[in-house]
Amino acid sequence: MDPVASALLESWTIDLKTVCLLLALAALYSRGWLRLRAELPDRYTPGRLAAFAGGLAAILLALASPVSTFGGLLLQAHMIQHLLLIAVAPVLLLLGQPVLPLLRGLPRRVFRDALGPFLACRELRQVGRALVHPVIAWSALAAAVIVWHWPPLYELALGSQAWHEAEHACFFWTALLFWWPVVGVWPSRSTWPRWAMIPYLALADLVNTGLAAVLTFSDHVLYASYLSAPRLWGISALDDQAAAGAIMWVPGSIAFLIPAAIIGMRALEPAGARRIRSINRRSVPRIPARVPIDFLNMRVLGPILRYRHFRTCVQTAMLGLAVVVIADGIAGPQIAPMNLAGVLPWTHWRGLAVIALLMAGNLFCMACPFTLPRDLARNFVTPRYRWPSRFRSKWIAAGLLATYLWAYEAFALWDSPRSTAWIILGYFVAAFVVDMVFRGAGFCKYVCPIGQFHFIHSLVSPLEVKVREPAICVSCGTHDCIRGNARQRGCELQLFQPKKLGNFDCTFCLDCVQACPQHNIGILPVPRGQTLRGDRDGSGIGRLNRRLDVAALALILVFGAFVNAACMTEPVMTWMHRWHVRLGLSSMVSIVTAVYVAGVVVIPLICSAACGWVSHRCRQGSNRRDLTCSFTLALVPVGFGMWLAHFSNHLATGWNAPIPAFERLLRMSSSGGYPVASMPGWLPPLELLFLDLGLLFSLYTAWRVACRTADDGRTSLAVMSPWSVLASSLYLAGVWIVFQPMQMRGTM
Amino acid sequence: MPSRLRWAALVVLSRGIACGDGGAPLFRTDTRDLTITMFESPAPVSAGPANLSVFVQERKGLNPVLDADVSLRLRAVASGVEVLARLTRGQAPNKLLYGAPVMLTESGKWDMSVTVIRKGDRTEATGTMEVAPTSGKASSYRNYLAFPPLTITAFALREMLIRRRARG
Repeated sequence: MDPVASALLESWTIDLKTVCLLLALAALYSRGWLRLRAELPDRYTPGRLAAFAGGLAAILLALASPVSTFGGLLLQAHMIQHLLLIAVAPVLLLLGQPVLPLLRGLPRRVFRDALGPFLACRELRQVGRALVHPVIAWSALAAAVIVWHWPPLYELALGSQAWHEAEHACFFWTALLFWWPVVGVWPSRSTWPRWAMIPYLALADLVNTGLAAVLTFSDHVLYASYLSAPRLWGISALDDQAAAGAIMWVPGSIAFLIPAAIIGMRALEPAGARRIRSINRRSVPRIPARVPIDFLNMRVLGPILRYRHFRTCVQTAMLGLAVVVIADGIAGPQIAPMNLAGVLPWTHWRGLAVIALLMAGNLFCMACPFTLPRDLARNFVTPRYRWPSRFRSKWIAAGLLATYLWAYEAFALWDSPRSTAWIILGYFVAAFVVDMVFRGAGFCKYVCPIGQFHFIHSLVSPLEVKVREPAICVSCGTHDCIRGNARQRGCELQLFQPKKLGNFDCTFCLDCVQACPQHNIGILPVPRGQTLRGDRDGSGIGRLNRRLDVAALALILVFGAFVNAACMTEPVMTWMHRWHVRLGLSSMVSIVTAVYVAGVVVIPLICSAACGWVSHRCRQGSNRRDLTCSFTLALVPVGFGMWLAHFSNHLATGWNAPIPAFERLLRMSSSGGYPVASMPGWLPPLELLFLDLGLLFSLYTAWRVACRTADDGRTSLAVMSPWSVLASSLYLAGVWIVFQPMQMRGTM
Repeated sequence: MPSRLRWAALVVLSRGIACGDGGAPLFRTDTRDLTITMFESPAPVSAGPANLSVFVQERKGLNPVLDADVSLRLRAVASGVEVLARLTRGQAPNKLLYGAPVMLTESGKWDMSVTVIRKGDRTEATGTMEVAPTSGKASSYRNYLAFPPLTITAFALREMLIRRRARG
């Protein structure tokens, strides 16, 4: 192929956001189309699906293909881009009859709870009907086309990306309105008879022809930018403009006149018109009851998860990895980025664990290697004692968690492979000793700080190990899920499945799944954060919103997320060093200790007590402690957002860090030096998105808690307001952290 | 004023900024054999990361030149900081252009020098570029920062509609 032609065809400017949006729309439509096709096969034909896909492809062609790339150099390319956005993409999208498939493709809760009130609003429906009224729709497109072709505005769009996008948006959305009555989008009803669409289209063509004639026959270049742009192949700007006019004239007119001709021919066929009317008269089908997805019943994944030794296999793999990390940490080079103990636990494991919590559930505890040695030892020795009742709370774990967060920064554990190795080894020993003395899973439930991190954050996870059919459990007399049987132990964390509440204290060990003789336990999707909003008594955990120890744990994790991330930013590190020098201290430990005591203990206590006091003042008669505990749990999502932002930063900047460490360990020749930290461009937006979603989720949870607490909307707002301020302040702190230069830990 | 002159004046005043997905043209130089056009993106370029592209054409016939070796030297007038970059077609979205991402460390005037080597012939084009002060991070990510307030507004509207409907 000619190199110039080849270069032309390769000049795609694919914007990730546009592609993601188009793919999401395609997925949404396909999902809805599949559901509707089962009920209305004659309306939702494969042709509709193809038309919608074609519409999306036309948008992609307009915005990402060489047509877009060369739009700034050649007016004719720009004109093709506009034609795609005005006359091709909207028509194809509307031929796909997209309203119902897009709505039906949405998750049921989003459709019903989020969009439902808007769809049912009379005023909004009136606005929608008005917008697609032929007079308004026609005028909107004509105005958009005329106004944007006025040279000063066209120049504005050529010179600014934002205005260019605004121009395209205007063309696309007004064209969508214009074609709506022409195509006849179901289930909206047309206000004008079909034949009226013929003059409607003819008049639109008149406007198009007028503009095209101006471009074609003008004796000067209308858009100055094209005069200054480099000319391709000697095509003068004036010739280019005339060609653009011709494109607008001929294909543009065809786009208006062919539909007019089709409508005219159909109007002359009485049988055809009757058939369309009969289809249009059908009522919108009701949404069928949802069949929940059960991951244990999935075709490939199900048998793997149900395999009796699945957990042991995963734990063994993790144990092997832990042994390698410990060995390298103790015997390997004490430079963190070159040592597996310096990168795998701090960069990869933490990042993958929070992503697993976000996407699925507590998968780390499922694969936890620390409990594997004691499981093996319990085959020979049975522990004698029950966990002391006075320690059946999260206070020990909360203390250990705060200590761990402090030690991480105070002793720069991320930079010390040997310390990391000893901590992992110590963890194995602690888990072994505790669980060989006490029955059940006392270590997981009451001691393990990592486990508590996962228990708290799995409250916003989308999956839960839960009963499939509660009615079956009513007739169950054996309660094997908690008691176990001869073949399988029951839940060691004392969670009785029929009364289990959310993911709290659940290690996803799947012992209950194996033990249940009715096979009535699955891994099911649940609304995120349901437990945070509710006020129910759960088996083995009681009422979370009345437990001070759980509230303390949540506070440590929420504030710890921000303190932990802030301590790796340049301004905070400089500030700490300045104080270190000013006070003449021998080490940074006392400064870090002061920061952590203030940031993880004192400030959270003061903030939650003050917010609780204000909320209590707004809602007299409520229990202040319960109120404070409930709202404290509502802060968990914003804290989780910060952990996600922080750990995804490490994972994205140091994902390739273990490669040289493995190469060294396996005595392979290096593939090219050590990983150098670099921040991908998509990372800050992703981090902000995590924070955004965390804040919104926290505010929503606080609102639901407030509605539960107060009777009317005004009181609810007042009760939640101090917590909203606190969540928003944490969010702003998070945004500030994301914008600061970061210490790239785990990389060279 | 004759119409062509009027339009030419407008061209000069408007500092033609047609985006050829190399960005906006910065300057154009005609040498003995070649026409070299320099593009900047974003336009106007500000301190920080930027994409600079060069369009090399044969002077006769204006056919694109795709087999040249193009390099760029930037020098901040105020501080003397220099940035060197090798421009390739692979790095430019428009594959007729040669492009490279560069890091402009400061705002102000920068001298630019483009060197094009083709079939042993070396051609140089020079120009200047005005780099605006860096835009704040908050403004760069305004969409993400606007997302929570917009969602909260939509949620408040939704709650209002639900309550109004419940009242009948």
